[in-house]
Amino acid sequence: MTASERFRKYLSGEEVDRCPAIEWATWWNLTVDRWHKEGLPADVDNNEKIQDYFGLDKCLQMWIGYRTKDTPRSAGNGLGIVNDEDDWERVKKTLFPPVETVINTKTLDYFERARQRGDTISFFTVEGFFWYPRTIFGIENHLYSFYDYPELYKEMCELYSDWLIELFRYTFEKFRFDFMTFAEDMSYNRGPMLSKACFDEFLAPFYKKVIPVIHEYGIPVIIDSDGDITEAVDWYAEVGADGMLPLERKAGVDVSTYLDKQPKLAFIGHFDKMCMKDGKDAMRAEFERILPSMMRGKVIVSVDHQTPPDVPMEYYKEYAKLLYEYCEKATHKGENIAPCPVFEKK
Amino acid sequence: MVVLSEISENLQKGKAKIVKELVTQAIAEGMDPEQILNEGLLAGMNVVGEKFKNNEVYVPEVLVAARAMNMGAEVLKPHLAASGVVARGKVCIGTVAGDLHDIGKNLVKMMMEGKGLEVVDLGTDVSPETFVNTAESEGCQVICCSALLTTTMGAMEEVVKLAKERGIRDKVKIMIGGAPVSQEYCDKIGADCYTVDAASAADAAVKFCAELG
Repeated sequence: MTASERFRKYLSGEEVDRCPAIEWATWWNLTVDRWHKEGLPADVDNNEKIQDYFGLDKCLQMWIGYRTKDTPRSAGNGLGIVNDEDDWERVKKTLFPPVETVINTKTLDYFERARQRGDTISFFTVEGFFWYPRTIFGIENHLYSFYDYPELYKEMCELYSDWLIELFRYTFEKFRFDFMTFAEDMSYNRGPMLSKACFDEFLAPFYKKVIPVIHEYGIPVIIDSDGDITEAVDWYAEVGADGMLPLERKAGVDVSTYLDKQPKLAFIGHFDKMCMKDGKDAMRAEFERILPSMMRGKVIVSVDHQTPPDVPMEYYKEYAKLLYEYCEKATHKGENIAPCPVFEKK
Repeated sequence: MVVLSEISENLQKGKAKIVKELVTQAIAEGMDPEQILNEGLLAGMNVVGEKFKNNEVYVPEVLVAARAMNMGAEVLKPHLAASGVVARGKVCIGTVAGDLHDIGKNLVKMMMEGKGLEVVDLGTDVSPETFVNTAESEGCQVICCSALLTTTMGAMEEVVKLAKERGIRDKVKIMIGGAPVSQEYCDKIGADCYTVDAASAADAAVKFCAELG
């Protein structure tokens, strides 16, 4: 069974030989710097090589943005490039390049070869309908925009969703990614940053527009939102998403409660990064906490948002061994496991 | 005649222009500025803070309400000063050294202002020296440190250490907050208070200011 087949079967609720053993995120540069000082070979300097070094299933990501070289840059961290309708009229002319210019077919060929090799899962990422307006308005003005510029917000998302549909069709005709993520980060440690009413008005219509297109290609849609997503998981389920990540333990997330209320969804992440510095016993205890959920549903364990720099490389090696051990322990025959929405028989 | 509950209600809805107009009208009608502040602006912000704690309103609603409060407060400020009304206490707040995230810090600031505290905003990437120097020079009763990153939260301990070295720990309370921070961490570094949300932080700061006088 290839990594790609295993991943898709697992999300379909079918029998697999073991759970996928992946790190969906890249490693923190500070962590890698530390590990280089602790013996990680100097030439192990990119994500794929690090995945190989620790013996993980490989996970390749293609992240596509909507800007061009003519798009203005923000003046500083967290600041936007649009303050009002006039700015938008100017800026929008610099966005949404022809889709064939943003997809490098050589990279898609590389992904295809990696899939054929059998050790790689691939995913495609774009900004979601919370993240994208935030990068346009800037962090704080974005939060005001729901009240100050509601129609502008919707127009921005309308144009973006049209472009996304074109992008998805062009790309997925050429290569069927194993899954895709929408980068959102719309929650923090107290829950979502916006109300359900705001979500329904400003985000939901656009997800309902694009997700069916992605599903036509048999690609599961995973929403990437940090923080406490306990409320938001239901909102994203309503608009047709197939899962969420990274389920940050520090924000109070408990995936077992999500399996109760959203059994069709898949969940990636959830391993408490904060325990890793405490060594093998602490990490084993964390795997034991998650194991019942892994056996109940489609829970793909991965560090819940990058290994912190206080984790020695030897501990990470232990983590990788434990990950495999628990991925094998959690293997199920697929009974009573609901498929993700994309894999439901229509 | 302006009804103060109207100021409060419009503030809660984030109707900044209406709040400004109502406060202006109330002053013109000879209403006591302190009463406008307490029963109009702060009362409205108090409701928003409680609803925020209970997840009945979210960040955008807090922001627009705080903006409405600030517009009303701008009108009110000279009249409050003229009638000798003083803030309920003084706080300096910032995101710690190495960290540029400020949404959480800004929310706490708004909530504190909504409780009638004077807040000195030190911005982001604030050194321990700046926190402590400001507390000393501005006479703040509370230092409030925010962090989003696990890699930067260590700077909070430096603030506590420096305040101790300067001998101001009996005069200044140190509050900490942010996604990676916990009560356990607060206890470990010897800070005075950790709260789970911005509204609770404002409540705690009011209490500290009242205790320290």
